[in-house]
Amino acid sequence: MFQLTELQHDALVELFNQGVGQAASAMSQIVHEEVTMSVPTIEFHTRAEVAQALGSVESRRICAVTQTYQGAFNTDAMLMFPEEKSLEIVRLMVGQALTPEELTEMEQEAMNEIGNIILNSCMSTLANIAGKELHGSLPMYRIGTSEQIFGASGGQWNGMVLTLKIDFNIEKHHINGYVAFLLDLTALQDLQSYLDQYLSGLMS
Amino acid sequence: MIASDSSVDVRLALLDSVLRTVGVGLIVLDADERVVLWNQWMVQHSFTAPDAVLGKAFAELFPELVNGRAHQAIKGALKNNFASLISPTLNKSPFPLYASADEKANNNRIQQAVHVMPIEMPSNLPLHQHCLVQVNDVSMAMAREKQLRDQAMELQSQIFADGLTGIPNRRRFDEHMEGEFRRAKRAATPLSVAMIDVDSFKDYNDNYGHQKGDECLILIAAALSRVLGRPCDLVARYGGEEFIAVMPSTNADGALALAETMRKEVQSLHIEHAYSKVAAHVTVSLGVITQVPAHNTAISHMIGAADRALYQAKRNGRNCVVAHGDTSDTPA
Repeated sequence: MFQLTELQHDALVELFNQGVGQAASAMSQIVHEEVTMSVPTIEFHTRAEVAQALGSVESRRICAVTQTYQGAFNTDAMLMFPEEKSLEIVRLMVGQALTPEELTEMEQEAMNEIGNIILNSCMSTLANIAGKELHGSLPMYRIGTSEQIFGASGGQWNGMVLTLKIDFNIEKHHINGYVAFLLDLTALQDLQSYLDQYLSGLMS
Repeated sequence: MIASDSSVDVRLALLDSVLRTVGVGLIVLDADERVVLWNQWMVQHSFTAPDAVLGKAFAELFPELVNGRAHQAIKGALKNNFASLISPTLNKSPFPLYASADEKANNNRIQQAVHVMPIEMPSNLPLHQHCLVQVNDVSMAMAREKQLRDQAMELQSQIFADGLTGIPNRRRFDEHMEGEFRRAKRAATPLSVAMIDVDSFKDYNDNYGHQKGDECLILIAAALSRVLGRPCDLVARYGGEEFIAVMPSTNADGALALAETMRKEVQSLHIEHAYSKVAAHVTVSLGVITQVPAHNTAISHMIGAADRALYQAKRNGRNCVVAHGDTSDTPA
């Protein structure tokens, strides 16, 4: 089982909090209302564990915005909410009365943008400490069971999933979401070395 | 990709005409956020010639967008190589682009879906970081979605309206009552319900015909709705010639007064009824119940009590109001 040292772990939590803080202020600017976000915990799991935690057993549907990053380290990043929560977030952001029970095409696009803002903000803090180029793709919106989203059963993949729980607050509404980064062994080592580099920079 | 056997000149000419023809807006900015490419679509819809734009900084061209979402996305592409998506729903038409000169005069912008992407350039070039801003016109899709949304709202309102009278139906009443009942229970405030029945309606229908009967119900529904004006009040058609009214935060005196006003409002319609057992025109009887719902009260108890009061009003001679538990005017 992959583990970070306590220092590395704390540094990563702090960096992600900086990231989602930037995302929250970008979102506040869009909706002209206070949006706050924080990352209380981060954890490492296998793909199957994450799929299970997100309800693969109950076949609960989740909505995910995914982006691929390459360069300093390679990862597939995704922001995930239970389907009904994604409806809530988008409609709170858009300020529209609730009508259909699924996101319309334009609302999916809005969800994509929300994911894009959050994921890019998280990754930009990591790119900063890495000091290396990191290329990010455009976001993709997907909906399905966690099994389908993660493709948990497929392939000989020896990596880990770094998951962040995100507390999202807008207009007195409190919503929990998850961000997951799929990291293979090389990416995990890269990430660890950037964290060490960052920590030693802080110490010196 | 362009066929590799063509010469550099041919490739450039081809790229140039593709950029001129393509049906999306393309802007390329260099590392200093200066415009280095502005395609024909942009010329056409911004009503700005390339000469007025090329070499100018983003902040100079779009001062109102400085540090906004699009600008941040551009910075993210130039600094971090991150791609961004700017959705039309969350960002109302960021760029001043118009379908026609008329639309421009009316300041009616094209609805836009914008992608901002870093583009790879040979790293030996000075200021090699560039980014591409791609603008898609999604006005049609947005209009279509608005139409669908409006239709959905319309359908939803129909589900809760009575087909004949247009006032809320039984289903809407059940939902509203549920909410108000819970609120009254929590806040320990009085909740009043009135059950309303048209007197001798069978005789009206039998003698004037069903079409006249329908018209009569429409007029009564409107009259009852006129009396209850607060947003939390609701009059619904309960079935046949029966109506029901919910009056939250209304005590027994208030409810009786409102019920009496409803009775008079119907009477003053002066709808002729030569076969009524009560009057020369159409009248209604009302049964009223007022309660501060207790922990163990059910909605059905309240409605049952209003129903019994209505029955008493019928026995008292119709065209009158009876409150539940009030038997003072019962003939001996």
